[in-house]
Amino acid sequence: MTARTGGAVVRPAPASPLAELTRTARIVVCCGSGGVGKTTTAAAVALWAAEHGRRTCVLTIDPARRLAQALGLDLLSNAPAPVKATGLPARGPGSLDAMMLDMRRTFDEVIERYARDPEQADRILANRFYQRLSSTLAGTQEYMAMEKLYELHESQRYDLLVVDTPPTRSALDFLDAPDNLNELLDARAFRLLIAPAQRIGRGYLRGLNLATTAMTRMVRRVTGNELLAEVGEFFAAFEGMYDGFKERAGLVYDQLKHPSTAFVVVATPDGAALREAAYFAGRLAADRMPLGALVVNRIHRAGPVPEVPAAARERLRAGGADGRLLADLLELHVGLETLAAAEQARIRELLDRVPNLGVVQVPLLADDVHDVAGLRKLGAHLFA
Amino acid sequence: MLEVLDTARLLVVTGKGGTGKTTVAAALGVAAAGRGRRVLVVEVEGRQGLAGLFGLGALDHREAQVADGVHALAVDPDESLREYLARYGFAPLARLLTWAHLNRFITAAAPGLGDVLLVGKVWEAATREARPETRAYDLVVLDAPPTGRVVPFLRAPETVAELARVGPIRHQADRVRDLLDDPGRTAVLLTCLPEELPVTETLEGVAALRAAGLPVAGVVANRVTGDRLGGRAGRLAGLSRDPGPLAEAAAAAGAELDRAALGTLVAEARDRQRQVTRERRLLKELRAGLDGMALVELPLLNGGAGGPADVRALAGHLAAGPVEAPPAGPARRAAGAARG
Repeated sequence: MTARTGGAVVRPAPASPLAELTRTARIVVCCGSGGVGKTTTAAAVALWAAEHGRRTCVLTIDPARRLAQALGLDLLSNAPAPVKATGLPARGPGSLDAMMLDMRRTFDEVIERYARDPEQADRILANRFYQRLSSTLAGTQEYMAMEKLYELHESQRYDLLVVDTPPTRSALDFLDAPDNLNELLDARAFRLLIAPAQRIGRGYLRGLNLATTAMTRMVRRVTGNELLAEVGEFFAAFEGMYDGFKERAGLVYDQLKHPSTAFVVVATPDGAALREAAYFAGRLAADRMPLGALVVNRIHRAGPVPEVPAAARERLRAGGADGRLLADLLELHVGLETLAAAEQARIRELLDRVPNLGVVQVPLLADDVHDVAGLRKLGAHLFA
Repeated sequence: MLEVLDTARLLVVTGKGGTGKTTVAAALGVAAAGRGRRVLVVEVEGRQGLAGLFGLGALDHREAQVADGVHALAVDPDESLREYLARYGFAPLARLLTWAHLNRFITAAAPGLGDVLLVGKVWEAATREARPETRAYDLVVLDAPPTGRVVPFLRAPETVAELARVGPIRHQADRVRDLLDDPGRTAVLLTCLPEELPVTETLEGVAALRAAGLPVAGVVANRVTGDRLGGRAGRLAGLSRDPGPLAEAAAAAGAELDRAALGTLVAEARDRQRQVTRERRLLKELRAGLDGMALVELPLLNGGAGGPADVRALAGHLAAGPVEAPPAGPARRAAGAARG
């Protein structure tokens, strides 16, 4: 917090675009394709914020087992708990909580919140179609992450919430989630499908009636009668809850668009990961979501070594064991330079497509990050 | 060389997210095409990963040529549903579906139906016979969902067909199963990285696929750091303390490298050696868990742009196989062609 007042004058301005947003944002959403280090990046950002005086909570979806243990994450509670680790600020303004999101449980909590009475909630929670829906519909999990995020935001318990998005089939599912869910819940067509006989009688709809009947037959064939009945019951039980749901989804969506939210796209310098990052950045822009920074993990760097002419390298090869070793070292260095240059070229290419995007590059670290010390080391690179 | 490149009708490529599944699928396709096979590479997750690898803007539900002997296709579930319904005489219904936006609800009510359609399309392409209006392939390479989801994905037709003892759905499910379970025609490959989590997940994935009766043919370890220094790592430790001998060698050869530059070179090489050691240990664990199954290593490419040139280079490695075993004549020619 000091950095925003007197501290900023004393200390040189931080070069990392993450520093400013981690000091000021209320919500940071880390997104990107699978295997690029989203969870560790989110946790390192949260730790840095806590150590810089902010009450912080990191909300994670699917952390590696050892990192989860290190953060003391417990799926059973579906609520934030303080991270116990040495070196964390014991007193003072900053603190770090962490929670691992239980999607299903979050969905259940939402149902409980909007149900007229406990009986309605119970009917829905016991419904088999609901149980399938809450775990399989594309976008539901992503939406529930945002729902929990919003709930914590509303509680005002934290200065900063950091969340990593699930490794989705398509990163876009996450942005579409409120729409998907709304569309499903508003599925008039779906209701027609369940009860075509009662709802459609008029002549001009006869074609649809025929079609839905044929479709009902097909769905029946695929799902079995029992499930189809459950679908009907689900919508009956859900009656009257839809508006509350939709309103809430709208609020969640607005909060994601708010300037106090920052999306951080995480990638590696791999071509595919960067392409996905570019696509994601484009979608965020199209939806007017505030894109804060790009983090590229696992960057290769080559040190400064003067170029050695080919003739000298040949003489090294023709020399003794140390000469041959030095020739090999030079070759490795040239390979590393080539790799580093290719990575930088790919990153530049991405930046050409997404202007004004702050980039943080994190070198390839010697070990997997699975404890608070590792997160702090990663943070040193993120905020350098 | 991976034998299945020459023998399989269907290569299913799966792996943990971020391990280069799509890149390896594309490279397998190009490698097989280099050996004279007509190949179709299929993507099912709507990520458009193949398009970038072949230097194209986007792919759609039509099979498009993307390299010599290689076609590619991004299967669209909605299109597949229309095709599927049309095949079983529900064409007007297929048109209505589009109009009423009902596809999503059908697949929500019956999770797995979308997968049935995608798998069905792959099966159709892999068993298709050449006709004047259709193209047939010798090999279909499927860029399948990641390890965690691949078994339910491939078994979706079976799951759905449990509810139908007779009829077209049952019939197709049986034929899909025949193809997928036949080690003579189908081979499942898993991509992996020489890192902790991917190795663990790969071994779990192999076990799950085998338990489901699917013919696992091997693992492709991607982005492996090459060991260029071998037994000289110990010597490097000494040189990092005192690069004197290297300075002498440099001076003798007329290479202008000061102590700082030599220090950088040694430090970079030692970092790389540490990386190599860690990777070798993880690959050894992986190999031990694979029980004699094929493990093919692909190098981390230095200058690759994540595009067609990378795919060709990796295809060259897949066709050529390990360097210690000299490749057979045809493989060498194919590798050369793929690199060119």
